[in-house]
Amino acid sequence: MSETVDLSFFSMVMCAVLLLVPVLVASYLKLGVIRSLLVSTVRMVVQLVLIGFFLEFLFNLNNAFVNIAWFLVMLSAAVFSVLKSSGLKIKAFVFPVFLSLFLSNLFVVLYFNYFIVHLDFIFDARYMIAIGGMVLGNSLRSNVVGLGDFYQSLNKEEQFYFYRLSLGASRFEAMLPFAKRSFTSALNPTIATMATMGIVSLPGMMTGQILGGSVPLVAIKYQIAIMVAILASTVLSIALSILFTVNYSFNKAGVLNKSIFASK
Amino acid sequence: MELFRVEGITKQFSEKFVLRNFSFEVAKGDKINIAGRSGIGKTTLFRLLLGFDKPDQGSIYFEGKPLTDEEVWEVRRNVAYISQDLNIGRGLVRSLFTETQHYKANLLHKHSSDKEILQQLAYFDLPESILNKNIEELSGGEKQRIAIVNALLLKRTIFFLDEATSALDSALKTRVLDCFLENDEFTVLYISHDTYLPENISLRTLKLDENE
Repeated sequence: MSETVDLSFFSMVMCAVLLLVPVLVASYLKLGVIRSLLVSTVRMVVQLVLIGFFLEFLFNLNNAFVNIAWFLVMLSAAVFSVLKSSGLKIKAFVFPVFLSLFLSNLFVVLYFNYFIVHLDFIFDARYMIAIGGMVLGNSLRSNVVGLGDFYQSLNKEEQFYFYRLSLGASRFEAMLPFAKRSFTSALNPTIATMATMGIVSLPGMMTGQILGGSVPLVAIKYQIAIMVAILASTVLSIALSILFTVNYSFNKAGVLNKSIFASK
Repeated sequence: MELFRVEGITKQFSEKFVLRNFSFEVAKGDKINIAGRSGIGKTTLFRLLLGFDKPDQGSIYFEGKPLTDEEVWEVRRNVAYISQDLNIGRGLVRSLFTETQHYKANLLHKHSSDKEILQQLAYFDLPESILNKNIEELSGGEKQRIAIVNALLLKRTIFFLDEATSALDSALKTRVLDCFLENDEFTVLYISHDTYLPENISLRTLKLDENE
């Protein structure tokens, strides 16, 4: 297999030319997104350049503590992102959500590194950060859906929740259908992706590995492993997020505390 | 025997008072119709008694004890509440009954036998086959009757009925009210716009309007 072809400066200019397509369409249709499109593009470029240099530095250093520290930074960013999009008050949830994402993702990543890849050094930067990033990114998306959905539907269908309490259900028993539903809605996108994987789309990780010189069959094995890891961390992190946040979110009478929602 | 005592409760939602300095008592076996125009706080009253909401002022007692956050769980183990909301769950009707009976708090009493379930269904004019239907497929009237059967199967003696018959025809309404009001063991607080009353029943009417 040949090495990946490096992209020259001219290549990047050609890439910028391709950017004209969305810009022109947006301008013609007056979509009003040109500004945010350009801002996002610039942000992406700057962030990626910085992270490129930074990753190179991390990979060369390859120190367990530094790698874990960077994992924690990714995690913190993920926590704020989850909470901001879930409509929940950040202050009340930051600690429990952080803890649940940390435990579930660290467990899955280390499991992956040790039992699946059989690394001698399980905190290896290449794996810890790349795999960690993928698992985290996906369980993050599911957590936004799962946790947000859980509390929003408890609020929206409060009568149903009260109905169950009035039948003698404990808080846990009464909220069970809501938890089940939020698991389903969080898992569904991943399950759907898995079902069409390889036919509709070639996953980014596989594409990357193939471009990087891996044999497709190796790339496939990694892809399968990573999808399973994502499923595991998704289920774990939602379960823990709900478990760790319920004590903050209900009063002793089992009634949902309305102040957990971020004011609009 | 006194079950509930409500002393001078006031409840306000933003600027609007729904209950103002309201007091009443409920003794065992009482049949009480809670009346008043809509928005007056009839449902709120149930919510307060079940601890889903708290009064701004005043106190509520259940069996002589103040209704604290801990005590509300005791109320919920003793009261069967049928809400006007028709969202009673998803999945099979049979599963709803089984699940309700299997709540930890309900495990203490004897579970209803299949025979009892069928008897209750028949009384409310529901076919046996409804057990294997999905709740989502039921009509409003069927859901209301399933909620009533579910409540009765819990073998509780205090009932809060919040427009529990609104989707039923008059013959069924009569049957439901007969079932609750004619039983001496039952304590019933109900919100209903029906004027029907079984014979020889001493009914108290709690008019929320008069308190304004």
